[in-house]
Amino acid sequence: MKTHTLYDGDSHRWLMFGRDPNKPEKIIDTNQYMVITKDNALLMDPGGIELFSAMLTTVIKQVPVDKITHIFASHQDPDIISSLGLWDQALQDATLHSPWIWESFIRHFGMQNINFNAIADEGGSLTLDDVKLVFIPAHYLHSSGNFNVFDPQTGILMSGDIGAAIEADDAPMFVDDFESHIPRMKLFHQRWMPSNEAKNDWVERVRELDVKMLCPQHGRIFKGDDVGRFLDWFEGLEVGLTGARLRQ
Amino acid sequence: MAAHTYSYFVVAAVIAARLEKATRIARHLSITASNARALAFRAGEGASGFRPLTDYIHRLADLTVSSSSRINHLASELSRTAAEKERAERALRHFVDVGERAKDSPFIDSLQPVFERTSQRQCVLRDAYNSQIKLLTSELDTLEGELRAAGVLATMSRVEALQADGVYQQALNNVADNVESVTASIKKHIQSSQTLVQQLTQELS
Ligand SMILES: [Fe+2]
Ligand SMILES: [Fe+2]
Repeated sequence: MKTHTLYDGDSHRWLMFGRDPNKPEKIIDTNQYMVITKDNALLMDPGGIELFSAMLTTVIKQVPVDKITHIFASHQDPDIISSLGLWDQALQDATLHSPWIWESFIRHFGMQNINFNAIADEGGSLTLDDVKLVFIPAHYLHSSGNFNVFDPQTGILMSGDIGAAIEADDAPMFVDDFESHIPRMKLFHQRWMPSNEAKNDWVERVRELDVKMLCPQHGRIFKGDDVGRFLDWFEGLEVGLTGARLRQ
Repeated sequence: MAAHTYSYFVVAAVIAARLEKATRIARHLSITASNARALAFRAGEGASGFRPLTDYIHRLADLTVSSSSRINHLASELSRTAAEKERAERALRHFVDVGERAKDSPFIDSLQPVFERTSQRQCVLRDAYNSQIKLLTSELDTLEGELRAAGVLATMSRVEALQADGVYQQALNNVADNVESVTASIKKHIQSSQTLVQQLTQELS
């Protein structure tokens, strides 16, 4: 699995893990993210059970295991958090931050050691050493309980399934030509996202933030002007489609 | 069923399921015992020798129900332990794999306590699993022994039937048939569970 540094500053680092060449063929490729501060590390959407060994191998090149004190699961999907049962055996005093509505569901993945911090619908924040991270509500995009993680200091927004694209496992890390990227994300957003109202509300709120990098859980990262391009495109897209309307 | 092709934690679950069935069947024996008692009461002098027999049938029924539900409980505990043990073992396999793959990582040492902790947990679960298997084996043997008395009770019921008045003869024979068939089907479940438990014991050694 490859590691890509998105930000490297005095107070913290942002890493992205993904593009695993040894990933089993039939599972969707995922991006995992990690924020490392002085004494702590937050692992975001750590991924599925099939990825666990590759993930832990990659992670301990960056931090010792016991420094992973926090995990974030944007929502309940298997590609997000089905590895929980194994992380639970690996970590002793970690806390999992996830939408309150999924607590009793996510526990089915196996959670005996890790603590659960239920994020309220309105969102919340987490301070790691001196770094404040904000949980931005993104409900119904696509999961009915779903959050993004925003870092106001760097402008990095971990957007989960929003901005996701379905593409080759060795795709580049960043979107380089927005127009040509649209076909890779259109169907995913139209079919997986159920609510235009929720989408437009999210776009409006995210425009208020100073997002410099929008980092989805699948596909490529948007940076600079491509963030605004994505927000405009997403705002204009009709979602919640099936059948013939989806194929138009 | 070629049970040996299944993993031990599946076998443990199969045992639990079989014994649940055995417990349900054992309750039928209680019903038979109650019917027999009512019959003896109605028959009066016509089946005087049968009355003490109904007490034995009752005792056997109670014994079977309580012992099989205890075994059933043990088996589901075993099944739970087996699943937990498998989870710890799977995690261990992953950690070993990571240890190999991350040999050159600067933080490879941080994996050591994780590995030790999980190994320890696996040991605890393995010990619990072993002793649960032992307990289950001995309880199954005890129940099997208790069920041997059923054959004697059925024969004695038949002897009583020979001496009873015509109207009750058929009824007493029915009781004997019932005792026989119910215990036979419990025995079948017990014996197949014993075979499966033996398989688990062999895997241990
Ligand atoms: Fe999802
Ligand atoms: Fe996803």
